[in-house]
Amino acid sequence: MSTVESRPSAPARPAADARRAPGKPPKGFDRPRFLKLFVGVFFVLLFAPIALVVLFSFNSSRSLQDFQGFSLRWYETFFESESLRDSLIASLEIALLTMLIATVLGTMLAYGLVRARTRVSDSLNVLMLVPLVTPEIVAGASALLLFTQVKLDLSLTTIVLAHITFSISYVTVVVRARLVSLSREVEEASMDLGATPVETFRLVTLPALWPAVLAAGLLVFALSFDDFVLSFFTTGESPQPLPVRIWTQIRFGVRPTINAIGTFMLVISVLSIGLALLLPRLLGRRESGLKVLLGREGA
Amino acid sequence: MNENRFASAFLVPGGLWLLLLFVTPLVLLLALSFGYTDDLGEAIYSTRLDNYERLIDPAYLPVLFRSVGFALAAVVLCLLIGYPVAYYIAIFGGRWKNLLIVLVVLPFFVNYLIRTYAWIALLGDDGMVNGVLDSSVRFLNTPYAVVGGLVYGFLAFMILPIYASLDRMDPSLIEAGKDLYGGPWQTFRHVTLPHTMQGVLAGSVLVFLPAVGDFVSASLLGGPEEVMIGNLIQQQFQASDNWPFGAALTVAMMAFLMVLMVSYLRAAAREAKEATA
Repeated sequence: MSTVESRPSAPARPAADARRAPGKPPKGFDRPRFLKLFVGVFFVLLFAPIALVVLFSFNSSRSLQDFQGFSLRWYETFFESESLRDSLIASLEIALLTMLIATVLGTMLAYGLVRARTRVSDSLNVLMLVPLVTPEIVAGASALLLFTQVKLDLSLTTIVLAHITFSISYVTVVVRARLVSLSREVEEASMDLGATPVETFRLVTLPALWPAVLAAGLLVFALSFDDFVLSFFTTGESPQPLPVRIWTQIRFGVRPTINAIGTFMLVISVLSIGLALLLPRLLGRRESGLKVLLGREGA
Repeated sequence: MNENRFASAFLVPGGLWLLLLFVTPLVLLLALSFGYTDDLGEAIYSTRLDNYERLIDPAYLPVLFRSVGFALAAVVLCLLIGYPVAYYIAIFGGRWKNLLIVLVVLPFFVNYLIRTYAWIALLGDDGMVNGVLDSSVRFLNTPYAVVGGLVYGFLAFMILPIYASLDRMDPSLIEAGKDLYGGPWQTFRHVTLPHTMQGVLAGSVLVFLPAVGDFVSASLLGGPEEVMIGNLIQQQFQASDNWPFGAALTVAMMAFLMVLMVSYLRAAAREAKEATA
């Protein structure tokens, strides 16, 4: 008997089990060093190209390979070119008009979709989402066809019309999520106290919606300002919006001016998105701008 | 005024706008796809099927397959890159969670052309990488460059839905998996992945749809061998000026994508309805 007990192979199994005892999880499970490294590399690769564009926009030489000193000459080239200046102004005008009109239409649509009980609501609920998943080239080509059919000359107006169409959907999604999370009781109380639907909307609903409406507006501004494909299909001869000009320039080859234009556009986009994210906090509300923008507030 | 009628009136402007400027153009496009161009290059509406027969022409068929192949490759890469990133942020992000997600989203608000151009400046024949390495590696004008451009362009569409589904998931489920002696891989496969499948599917659709129709990446990062259906469509509506054929290409692409779009929209509408109810 004693010879059996002293067999060396006996303790092998219990030892393997002990390693997996609760409280001592397998290594790499709670402290995923590999994952951390992966995410680190991801962020570097995500930002490196953009950072280099920004850096080389200040390069004093034409080179895209070595940075030879700080200079603003490419920004000067950008702003001294009258046609590029016109393009910048055109892009800003398009984005501003798109923002104003789409925000109004989208907010109204969101309110109608959440509060109205009609037969068309269900189909509108789906139709409203279709532009968001339609490849832009389809929207661009079909908008171009429509404008040609109704003999509308291609100009900044046609670009704005095309931009508003897809922007409405973004606004509706963001505002609708906010509306859903509002409690109906407050609106009902207002009506019980004798307010008309119009007064209730103006005095109760709209003030509660403001952060979402403003955030959606800024989001749409950034999207419209950056949009290339829709603008490319619906633009007239001149002035063309900046992204269309960048397209033409890139096709002619890499030019340092593109770095300056790109950096300038980046600042405008990031400012409007940053503002959209910070807005709820600036308005003194304890909610995440990110959630407002992702339209996930109710969820 | 009745409250329901007041609210219904709000549906009118936006609804009409979408009908006139989104639905009508698509119907026109469908109609024109059966048309032809006359000798003067004018697009004429008709009831011919010529344009659709041209789609299976050996000159065009490979382009269609290539578009789907490139888009699928982009989806797979986005998933392989995006899932770990979303997982790390959702599970280990702690109080930096929101900041990290903003950092993921922010670059996607930099103009797509500029982001693509940045890779040209980096990887071009006389770009920075070749300059630093003092080499002459040909990165661009390859299929890899085009797929890479698509991944860099649409990655956020994959990360956000996956992050959202991971964020919604109860972390104690992972704890439970561990308590039941599941290894990291087993816990992931039997607990985490099934719980986030919705996010994975949504992300895959959201990357695939714009990737199939993209023409920027193939135009700027690819050569003549990497042409995608988006490039064909763009050419028909601009340089070659054959709108009916362009319309047929667009309709064919939409028809192909329709299954995905409908299933995605149904899931989204269901979610919205649950939230409203």
